[in-house]
Amino acid sequence: MNLDFTQIVPYIPFMLEGIWVTLGFVSVSIIFGFILGTLIALIKISRIKFMVGLADAYTSVFRGTPLILQLMIIYFAIPQLTGYNIPPFFAAVLAFGLNSSAYISEIIRAGIQAVEKGQTEAAQALGVPYRPMMKDLILPQALKNILPALMNEFITLTKESAIVSTISYLDLMRRAQVVGSDIYRNFEPLLFVGLIYYLLVMGLTMLGKLLERRLRVSD
Amino acid sequence: MIKVEDLSKTFGKTEVLSDISTQVNSGEVVSIVGPSGSGKSTFLRCLNLLETPSNGSVWIQDYEITNPKTNILKAREHIGMVFQHFHLFPHLTVIDNITYAPKQVKGETADQAETKAKSLLEKVGLTDKANAYPNNLSGGQKQRVAIARALAMEPEIMLFDEPTSALDPEMVNEVLDVMKDLAKSGMTMAVVTHEMGFAKEVADRVFFLDHGKLVEDSPPSTFFSKPETQRAQDFLEKIL
Repeated sequence: MNLDFTQIVPYIPFMLEGIWVTLGFVSVSIIFGFILGTLIALIKISRIKFMVGLADAYTSVFRGTPLILQLMIIYFAIPQLTGYNIPPFFAAVLAFGLNSSAYISEIIRAGIQAVEKGQTEAAQALGVPYRPMMKDLILPQALKNILPALMNEFITLTKESAIVSTISYLDLMRRAQVVGSDIYRNFEPLLFVGLIYYLLVMGLTMLGKLLERRLRVSD
Repeated sequence: MIKVEDLSKTFGKTEVLSDISTQVNSGEVVSIVGPSGSGKSTFLRCLNLLETPSNGSVWIQDYEITNPKTNILKAREHIGMVFQHFHLFPHLTVIDNITYAPKQVKGETADQAETKAKSLLEKVGLTDKANAYPNNLSGGQKQRVAIARALAMEPEIMLFDEPTSALDPEMVNEVLDVMKDLAKSGMTMAVVTHEMGFAKEVADRVFFLDHGKLVEDSPPSTFFSKPETQRAQDFLEKIL
């Protein structure tokens, strides 16, 4: 057995800093993806045929191609066209946000359609306009039902975020690689950040359970 | 006032309502009866445009709701509806169910809406349930909350779509009692029901629908003792 964790000790602060980098762009991506996904879901259940077609095409493209390809197109290929370099943080948020909005829009669409039709009718009969009806009456019920699926999506995004290491963004994963090549040992730094990813996901899972319990007060 | 002219509704090729014309004056209570599939509920749902008529026109107070230019949301403020399956908002407490629309639609303050909601809850006998969630109520209680919710918008007309059909038998009366009080208070009501007792006792007129046609429109005394048509006689024989 050739394991020596003392060697990574000096690098621990450097690797821990990666937590904030990863958390930073992941949380912005989640918020961006969630808002965009909700809007796309609302378009999908609307009756404007052209827009529905557009939303479906969007989902199909972003689900149908590899995330790493989308990331590379945004970071490496688009500057070739526009002449502007895009900072890795924005490239990451764009790639992860757009990609996850495609999945989230499907989750939310299913959630909205699973809310009883009578709920919409009751709101309409009371004269409630579309926007407040969706915001206050339909979406909260939809979100409660789809919370586990949404948490799944957020967890996937957190772990998949490691592929930003391919555009040299100094996230957790990339830092483990840097340390690995510095000390010629890969097992220890990889194991270390692996543990951190696991803890991050556990934290997210707990947050989800807490939220679920709070939404269950009405049962 | 409700006015209906030449109302027809088709789903695909089936004609569910054909050429219904009638008028319900302010303060009148109308019971709508008929065999299942006769179009009673569809007729009721055309009166607040939850169902869009294929033909004809419907007036609610001064609003011609079948005219696409009419602001249907505005018109619906004047016409409350109670559903067979209640359709309370499950994520809101009883009091929030009642105050939501007055605050959102009529711009009432939280205080105004709550005071009114409390007096409505008293009227339907559920003062102690203000902070309960719908899932913790019995069917009869849910329906009484649903009635209070509709009344909170202060409508001039109330539609009831089989309000007691989903209830356990012992809960039917608590809902009917609330409806009777409402009828006495002068509310204009259209009630699709299988409760012939209610129709007899409370209604000013009985509409008998069969195969989408308004076959009879008569006072309950006439309708129940000597119905004009054979179809109404057959129907009454089966249920009484």
